[in-house]
Amino acid sequence: MNAALRTAASGMMAQQTRTEVIANNLANVNTTGFKRSRAQFQDLLYQTVQSTGVIGSPDANTTAAIQVGRGTRLSGILRMSAQGSLEQTGRPLDVAIEGEGYFQVQLPNGTTAYTRDGGFQISDQGTLTTNGGDPVVPGIHVPPEAVNVSISRTGVVSYVRKEADTVELGRIEIARFANPTGLFSQGGNLFTETAASGQAITGFPTDDGMGQLVQGSLEGSNVEVVQEMVDMITAQRAYELNSKTLKATDEMSQVANEIVR
Amino acid sequence: MTGAASALRYWELRQEVTANNLANASTDGFKAERVFARLLNGAPVIGTHTDRREGAVHQTGQPLDIALGGDGFLVVNTPAGERYTRGGALQVDTEGFLADRDGNRVLGAKGAIQVGAGTLVVDRTGNAAVDGKTVDRLRIESTAGGATLDHAGATAFVPGATRTLVADDKRDVQQGHLEDSNADSLGGLVDMISIQRAYAAVEKTISVLDHVREVATSQLGKGAS
Repeated sequence: MNAALRTAASGMMAQQTRTEVIANNLANVNTTGFKRSRAQFQDLLYQTVQSTGVIGSPDANTTAAIQVGRGTRLSGILRMSAQGSLEQTGRPLDVAIEGEGYFQVQLPNGTTAYTRDGGFQISDQGTLTTNGGDPVVPGIHVPPEAVNVSISRTGVVSYVRKEADTVELGRIEIARFANPTGLFSQGGNLFTETAASGQAITGFPTDDGMGQLVQGSLEGSNVEVVQEMVDMITAQRAYELNSKTLKATDEMSQVANEIVR
Repeated sequence: MTGAASALRYWELRQEVTANNLANASTDGFKAERVFARLLNGAPVIGTHTDRREGAVHQTGQPLDIALGGDGFLVVNTPAGERYTRGGALQVDTEGFLADRDGNRVLGAKGAIQVGAGTLVVDRTGNAAVDGKTVDRLRIESTAGGATLDHAGATAFVPGATRTLVADDKRDVQQGHLEDSNADSLGGLVDMISIQRAYAAVEKTISVLDHVREVATSQLGKGAS
């Protein structure tokens, strides 16, 4: 009987985690380049009380196995890499990726992180950086005299010095991964590569398998509020259901205790 | 008395199984467990079997989410041997092979399926193409006559003794979809109420039997003196 209590508790914990994931999705409904996550569950190991066998004479019926499951567990929180809708901002340094790929960013500790958030800035030294101030890789220097900076769909950053005299400042490279769901989310819209994501494959936008850049736009979050609401209701009901199991099992134990007075 | 005690055990088992089914109401690809009891040569025999009915399929749009319509299972290679799974949220492992959530590789007709960094497209009959080039065909198997399958945990099953390849016209591989748990929440709740009542009824029987014995030992003894 205690087993049923623990099973129900595992179900409640699973639904709680699911609600936490949904809450985070909803909190980030307006976060640029945010990808929604989904909690994924698995059943736990089964206890085989009695395995398939034969009773009595060789011709007798075979008995079925008795297998009792022991609840559920979280198997992973998967990030959905679906494209978010592009929101036009008209700001020249806002760049969205349409399709596969991540911008590369150099962190203060020298390692490379990846982001879908292309709301870029120019630092006081003229370097192209993210919102968080981390320089974009490969480094692109924008001189103070550069006005009307243009970023092409293939990643070329340039500006027009005077009529018919275009100066190329550099080219943005993007990275993609064999398994983007495996990227480690480290907050601040940044991801880092892991063994599960595989090594970054870098290239220019519109190259084989890479998305294209859209200047003057930002990628919105791919969270769909209605979907999250539906999931939240399901999670809440499932939580209640498991608490009912807990209560019913407890009442059965009480009945069992009444046998001996 | 012994009969009543084993009846208590039976209802407890049913409660445990129902608890597990309800706890897995949100586990994609989960198949509910059912308890049955029948009389065999005058003695009750209890067993469980896996309910193989399909769960509802919902769209996710993720290319590595695979659901199977109809009967059939994907074959994955685990350290404990080959196992069946109804699909689910697959992934590409570090060496570029298609694998399940626990890193067990999904098997095609030619063995593990190399996806690498390419885009995987799986058609309805299970032909897997990477970047437009067909690489392999998913092995989709089933056991004959809907025989019961043992749960192996992690939404996997131990293949039965009779394994057959599912024919092309019976295959319905749905990429970008996931199969919900087939545990019926409402049915489980109703079951739980009747289990609870039945359990209380058996307890009553034991109390009554106990009382009868009490009468037999104390009252009959009195009559004799």
